[in-house]
Amino acid sequence: MQEIVAGYLFIAPAFISLFIFLVVPILASFVLVFMRYDVLSPPSWNGFENLSQLSRDGRLQQVYWNTFRFVVFATFFNNLLGLLLAMGVNRAMPSIIKYLLRTALFFPVLTTTASLALVWNFLLTQDRGVVNYLLQQVGLPPVPWLSSSSWAMVSVVMFDVWRACGFLMVIYLAGLQAIPEVLYEAAAIDGASQLQRVRYITLPLISPTAFFAIIISIIGAAQVFDNVWVLTGGGPGDATRLIVLYVYEIGFKRFEMGYAAAVSLTLFAILVVLTLLQFRLSRRWVHYD
Amino acid sequence: MSMLQDASPHLSRISRFFQTFRVFLGETVIWTFLIVMAIIEFAPISWILATSLRNPSESFKLPPDFWPTSFHWQNYLAVINSPQINFLLFFWNSLKIALITTLAQLLTCSMAAFSFARLRYPGRDLIFFLFLSSLMVPATVIMIPTFILIRMLGLLDSHWALILPATTSAFGVFLLRQAFMGIPSELFDAAKIDGAGYWRMYWQIALPLVGPALSALAIFTFLGSWNNFLGPILYLRSWDNYTFPIAIVMLSGYMGTGNRAHVLAAVMISILPVLLFFLMAQRFVIRGIAVTGLKG
Repeated sequence: MQEIVAGYLFIAPAFISLFIFLVVPILASFVLVFMRYDVLSPPSWNGFENLSQLSRDGRLQQVYWNTFRFVVFATFFNNLLGLLLAMGVNRAMPSIIKYLLRTALFFPVLTTTASLALVWNFLLTQDRGVVNYLLQQVGLPPVPWLSSSSWAMVSVVMFDVWRACGFLMVIYLAGLQAIPEVLYEAAAIDGASQLQRVRYITLPLISPTAFFAIIISIIGAAQVFDNVWVLTGGGPGDATRLIVLYVYEIGFKRFEMGYAAAVSLTLFAILVVLTLLQFRLSRRWVHYD
Repeated sequence: MSMLQDASPHLSRISRFFQTFRVFLGETVIWTFLIVMAIIEFAPISWILATSLRNPSESFKLPPDFWPTSFHWQNYLAVINSPQINFLLFFWNSLKIALITTLAQLLTCSMAAFSFARLRYPGRDLIFFLFLSSLMVPATVIMIPTFILIRMLGLLDSHWALILPATTSAFGVFLLRQAFMGIPSELFDAAKIDGAGYWRMYWQIALPLVGPALSALAIFTFLGSWNNFLGPILYLRSWDNYTFPIAIVMLSGYMGTGNRAHVLAAVMISILPVLLFFLMAQRFVIRGIAVTGLKG
């Protein structure tokens, strides 16, 4: 009896906090999508108007197309570079070099995204920007990094990969270090080449780590906000407007809270489906041994 | 194999040469990749430092510096002593919010985790399942209703708007529950026989044994709060309440493009504590991420 009371008391603080700031907002979203609410005047019933607006909103399609491309490219390059860097850093080398490498590669992860995006804004300026200056030094033409709608997306992905691949490196590093050394020694005795060892030992055994890394990359990339807010403001035009930035603008620039909640719900649904789908697909190629 | 080599020493020398060449080539490719990546990752950071120490009138001058060539530290003083904006106040605001959030999460998460891992009561597994499934709901997805809730509670433009929603995390509960599960139950049985109450079991036995998990959670909560951008953008209105990240971004708009050296000095001030911390505790931070690899 005492244990029951203690049990409930111990979860009470976390439960209350989670209930007020997670459960209540989730429930509220499902009410909000049927409302017209501009924050200043009281909410009024809006029926299915917000939901039907979803299918008519051409900008929403553009924004989702942007988000899709961003998520695919950022996830791909973050994981590819993260894995390669981890394999590189995991090699035997003097500990001072390892320390310097890890510091350099990991440092952007720790620093505020918004400040770094601001810095990259300076670096990527078309005229007198540092990156274009360096390009010109090696004889390449300057690139309209942030002002052309096709390059802006490249810049946004590039910044995200620059900032986050060190994080994935650390995750893959943990996965690599969990692979028993014995396997590599046995393979070496059997005469397997370096590439064969990577192909037949590292890759299969890193797959559970890769699975988690890819899921968190997708879920993280789908919610990117600071990056585009500071770097491009979603522009030029709508070229780099990602979904969370769009929700923010619907809610806090257009003051259409009901519609903003409806758009959020689509993102929510997509993230849940993606997570579940990933779990199902993973059975085919992840080896938990 | 060895007999074959003995039989044709000439052939084996050639193949050994090719093998050495291939290893050499492989090493070159790998090291070039690592060094180029390290330079790409770190060059912008050292550019910030170098440019923040330039004379403001030269902060746009090309070629850029990637290491300090002048030492115009007055930029830092100008930012700190700026009459219009109280920069140290931003620092304090960020620090205060991050510390309170971290302490609150350590407490609430560890208490709930202890309960889920060590106590038995009806409905426990159901409630734990609810906690787990809430991991699928990122804060960005509910930012609209959360904003309305914060507004109804009258917390707009107050630091509580950032602290209260972050007083617990399902992720932290999950992480610490795993840690508590690893403690041998004999310890708790012995404590029970000695007449220890549940609070003492939690505070004096369980907590001291999960130090690494607690510090990992602390590091991530602190960094998450320190670097939070969306929250302050949504809730904070007046300059006096701004936190570091939002203040820096607003500062760059406010000062215009003419004072890049000052903006970069401000960025550098916000980076320095993190840099120092990381240089000292690198191993710790990296192990923390490895432990908590799930966190996005």
